[in-house]
Amino acid sequence: MTSQLPAGGATQGATGATVTPPVARRARPPQRRRLTLRGRRQAIGALMAAPAVAMITVFFLVPLGLTFYMSLNQWSLLGAHTWIGFDNYTRAFSDANFRDAFVFTLEYTAVVTPVLFLIGLGLALLVRRPRRGARVFQSVYFMPVVIGFAASSFLWLYMGQPGLGPLFDVFRRLGLTNPDTNWFADRQSALFYVVLSVAWKFVGMQMLLLLAGLQSIPVEVEEAARIDGAGRWQSFRYITLPLLRPTLALVLVFSVAGSLLAFDQFFIMTNGGPNNSTITAVYQIYRVSFVQFQLGYGAALSVLLMIVLAAVSALQLLLLRNSDHD
Amino acid sequence: MRSKTIGALVALVACALAIGACGGGSDSGSSSAESSGPATGTITIWARDAQKVFMGKLVDAYNKSHKAQAKLSIIPSAQFVQKFGTAAASGTAPDVASIDLVFLPYFASQGALDDITDLANGLPYNDSLSPAHKKLATYQGKTYALPFTAEASVLYYNKGLFKKAGLNPNKPPTTYAEILADAKKLRALGKDTYGFAFAGACGGCNVFEFTPHVWASGGDVLSADGSKATLDTPEVTDALQFYRDMYTAGVMPPGVKTDGGSLQVPTFSSGKVGMTPLGAFAVSTFKDAKIDFGVTPLPGKDGSSSSFAGGDEIAIPTGSKNKAGAQEFIKWATDEAAQTVLAKEGIVPVRTDLIDKVYAPQDPRYKILGDMMAKGKTPYSVVENAIFNDNNGPWIKMINQAVFTGNIKDAQSSGQQAAQSLIDQAQ
Repeated sequence: MTSQLPAGGATQGATGATVTPPVARRARPPQRRRLTLRGRRQAIGALMAAPAVAMITVFFLVPLGLTFYMSLNQWSLLGAHTWIGFDNYTRAFSDANFRDAFVFTLEYTAVVTPVLFLIGLGLALLVRRPRRGARVFQSVYFMPVVIGFAASSFLWLYMGQPGLGPLFDVFRRLGLTNPDTNWFADRQSALFYVVLSVAWKFVGMQMLLLLAGLQSIPVEVEEAARIDGAGRWQSFRYITLPLLRPTLALVLVFSVAGSLLAFDQFFIMTNGGPNNSTITAVYQIYRVSFVQFQLGYGAALSVLLMIVLAAVSALQLLLLRNSDHD
Repeated sequence: MRSKTIGALVALVACALAIGACGGGSDSGSSSAESSGPATGTITIWARDAQKVFMGKLVDAYNKSHKAQAKLSIIPSAQFVQKFGTAAASGTAPDVASIDLVFLPYFASQGALDDITDLANGLPYNDSLSPAHKKLATYQGKTYALPFTAEASVLYYNKGLFKKAGLNPNKPPTTYAEILADAKKLRALGKDTYGFAFAGACGGCNVFEFTPHVWASGGDVLSADGSKATLDTPEVTDALQFYRDMYTAGVMPPGVKTDGGSLQVPTFSSGKVGMTPLGAFAVSTFKDAKIDFGVTPLPGKDGSSSSFAGGDEIAIPTGSKNKAGAQEFIKWATDEAAQTVLAKEGIVPVRTDLIDKVYAPQDPRYKILGDMMAKGKTPYSVVENAIFNDNNGPWIKMINQAVFTGNIKDAQSSGQQAAQSLIDQAQ
């Protein structure tokens, strides 16, 4: 290596005389220098990425591999496990309990996503302009987000309890509900109540994300639209919404992924009832794994859910990204 | 002086690092543990958060009187089974574990616990240990745990409300019909006063509080060996009809329909409910709430009585590193000194010979709890958790459907089918 460098330098002096060989030679040394530079950069880059890669390997890839391996076994919580290939997967496709849980999860997602989004967007538009009190309201709406989800679920469980809960009591006194009813005893009202509590808990987060998106839209664009004679609705529909698209993608992917993984709220507030009609996919995985102690089958269900989740998220991102170019 | 401290620290750390060596020294062949003198080293113990207070006192008492030192870890109740399972599978199990007795057949069947048949048979008081606990600790003829703490289910009733309703507070009901009649009178006291409450969406609560009615009427929910579900038997029908009658009579508060177990105790301590079935664990809560209450056995259809014998057993996981210490501890835990410590904390002793000596004299209500524990039963099954304790399992689904929709026949037949298929799957 060191012996070639002076040789390269020597040919450079002869450039004017001969044409063909020097070109080939001249190209070499800088390439070498660039390579070492790039090499060093790559090494540093790899070094800096190493902790993250290690973390992902240890906390994501290895567990993922293990989960998949477990899903191919009959794996009891304790004791020996036996290899059964894809039997757990074929079982999953004919498992009525899991199918019901999955359908319910989709239904819940379909209900809760627009509710969260519309309220979040509404709140974001309300607190958008730096009016007096806007900051206070931002904080107020955001406050439930910092409460633990389980804690908030227990809070709502208690508040809506017939005969005990203050919220129920208020409704009863206002004559809005019969004192003998029980909101958790009917599938529709239980789902409605859970959605309400989830909205209270998460709408602040969506508001904050959408607010950040709204504030990144230059005021000039909207002013220009207004000067061109656009009304409020038109400017919202044709200016704000399209420019908000990247944020919308983020918010919707978050919201849908979170809803597909719903567990705490139903585990705590409805116990999966009435009549096991509010059991979500994750709830069912929990039951299979830790109530019936069938870890292998639970792992198979987890893998299936992960595939669905990845597909749905990819589809959403694709849809929202493609429409950016039109 | 400084170097001495450091030396001691080093020794301590070395000892801690080599718990196996320190404790296992006297353990060459666990059967010879007794002859080689008192156990040494550290004994790690796992218990659930509900046991925190009395376990702490118990461990203190042990450490004061023994060379080996016990070290307690508290595991959240809801995660105990999975944590213990994971630890057992990965070889990091504790030396001693206190386990809810209903899980014992499962753990024993999976080879997670040491066979301690000889140790159990060698106990001088073996015959007076709770029979239900002993049955649950036995798997294929071998013993895998010792009884540790006991629980019994009884009917709690509010004496104040009984007086108000013109009922004799010293004459609690003894049949289904009497409970229903009393509940109606209590309900008549006012808009917000109810006769009877239970946790209508809680499987574990009802195996504890509902099955005694079936047993007291001569029926059962499982065959003795756990191989057959018997949820469609006439005694179960009668008990379900009894609850259904109370529900249609309007004596139950609306919240019972969806109570997953967290409301039953607060409902009774609010003083608005006349009767509710619960265990000994609730005594201190109701005393604190200043409720004037009595307890009475859970009756069968036309009298007699029964109880769920619940509680914990104490076992040595197969991965235990200090077997000599573990054996010494579990023997001591069933001894009079330890059971007295527990009784002072309101825990029912597992020794029928000690109930009248250390437990019952504290409170007349304890006498009933202790007696009921001694004649209590427990369903035996390796899938107990999946059938009964699961809040979405066949047991509670059957009860909920039967009591609140009234379709008892259908509820029973689908419950029976689902329970039997869980049993068959496990075999």
